[in-house]
Amino acid sequence: MLEIIILGRGGQGAQTAGNQLAKALFAKGNYVQTFSTYGGARRGTPVTSSLRADSQPIRQRCNITSATAMLCFDDSLLDEAFLKLGAEDALVVVNSARSAASLPSLGNRRIIPVDGKAIARRNNMGKVVNSALLGAFVAKLDTPDIDTMCAIIEDTAPAKKQENVTACREAWGLNATSSEVLA
Amino acid sequence: MNAPAFTDNVQLLNGNHAVAWGVRLAAPDVAPLYPITPQTPILEKLIEFQSQNTFDAELLTPESEHSAMAAAIAASATGARVFTATSSQGLLLMHELLHFAAGARTPIVMFNVNRTPASPWGFWPDQIDSLSQRDTGWIQFYCENPQDSLDTVIQAFRIAETVNLPVMVNHDAFYVSHSVEPVSLPSAETVKDFLPRQPRQIQLGDGSGRSLGAPIDQASWNLTRREMDAGMSLVEDLTAEVGRSWATLTRRTSAPLEQYQTDDAEIVFVTMGSMTGTARIAVDTLRERGVAAGLIKVRLFRPLPAAALRAALMDVPCALVLDRNYSPGTGGVLHQELKSALFGMAGAPRLYGLLTGVGGVNVPAETLEKLAADYSDAAPDNNPIWVE
Repeated sequence: MLEIIILGRGGQGAQTAGNQLAKALFAKGNYVQTFSTYGGARRGTPVTSSLRADSQPIRQRCNITSATAMLCFDDSLLDEAFLKLGAEDALVVVNSARSAASLPSLGNRRIIPVDGKAIARRNNMGKVVNSALLGAFVAKLDTPDIDTMCAIIEDTAPAKKQENVTACREAWGLNATSSEVLA
Repeated sequence: MNAPAFTDNVQLLNGNHAVAWGVRLAAPDVAPLYPITPQTPILEKLIEFQSQNTFDAELLTPESEHSAMAAAIAASATGARVFTATSSQGLLLMHELLHFAAGARTPIVMFNVNRTPASPWGFWPDQIDSLSQRDTGWIQFYCENPQDSLDTVIQAFRIAETVNLPVMVNHDAFYVSHSVEPVSLPSAETVKDFLPRQPRQIQLGDGSGRSLGAPIDQASWNLTRREMDAGMSLVEDLTAEVGRSWATLTRRTSAPLEQYQTDDAEIVFVTMGSMTGTARIAVDTLRERGVAAGLIKVRLFRPLPAAALRAALMDVPCALVLDRNYSPGTGGVLHQELKSALFGMAGAPRLYGLLTGVGGVNVPAETLEKLAADYSDAAPDNNPIWVE
């Protein structure tokens, strides 16, 4: 079973990204389960989106405590408490302009910084980074394929559909060719 | 577990939107609704359906949950099919009128999203909001997943309208309400045939000039409760029959109790709602280790299927009741109900009341597996036990 945690701040689109990724994995024939938890439902407070995907119906109704992969929308949220929710060798994609070496880490977790803000800006997306981060994340995760991911984004993005798709593709392409800071 | 098959008309829906789909298909005439986290997506989806002309109930948005329930009672008493939804504080604000609705024999269907009541403020899955309403005369169901919620809300209309008692269907906040999953949608024709408009004894608005709920003498009031008792006594068999009928249409089972791996079980978990899914994993893991574990899911909580619970637990050495709720001064409500149901039974299990997940704290399968190890040979303990 694939277990994913997406962490962001309210309003950044972590929940939307979780739902879009779930739709893409579902479109590839997986059973999926994604749920969000949030505190005061206020803009800026941490929001977690959890996602499971499997070939069998998903039965458990509890938090993910050993994630296969994690996506962090804001490097100020990347701390030990968050990293501990990942498996020992979890993939951790972080929205950050900093180098992997300068970011917090834990055990053998693979920290991959992605400069989502720069990619978003180049694609006329302002500060909206979720499509860029999804592109990088699915490239590293190696599932679902980029065409399925982009089709879901095009279908569900509330505005700037084409810009969202190109940001996603750019991040995917950059990530496929480099394991260092993207963009 | 009633997971959808991929061959069905499957959509990705969260639990609340699955409920809204079930309600749309059940086609109530009136739906008074007031928003509250984490119920609001039910209301929002129904309003979206209405704006698309796919849901033509009269949607009322009064100034409080108390008024929403008052409107629901009045509408139902005229013979209308009525739906409402709420959560936690909203349900508690309705409390007075929950008694009224049941006493007036109005077959309202209400969906409640189980959430911690204040104080302190919280939004977390905990069933004490609805369990504390167990004496109001409402039939109560607890659902495990979005598919269960959709199937049960549809069945609830048939059950309510058959016995003229209101039905409250519950699912846990976030783990079900906001969990997006594949959900199989039945066709509109299937649900229309499943929920025929039953001729009802209309109590208001039929021109006969009668009143509803006027003051009556002691013996007449007493009689109303005897009649409710007679109605309640039909509900367990009716739930089983309605579930079988639904299964022939959808291939998904829905029973008052579901037993999982209980045939030869020596230690059985008993639980309700979303924790059931996690307990299934724990049972499988324990079986792989050679422990004869099993599970009973209580889907129909009120009326409690006491005879079926006694039969299911007869000669089982040990049962662990997992309560995601806490009644101060007694412990877990399901534990309390089980003690009552099993009282005096020869061959009753040693029963442990485990307060797991109170306030929405996380309960992974490993916790349940450890509980099975800790209590399989433990000394009897009648008191509630807090689980870390």
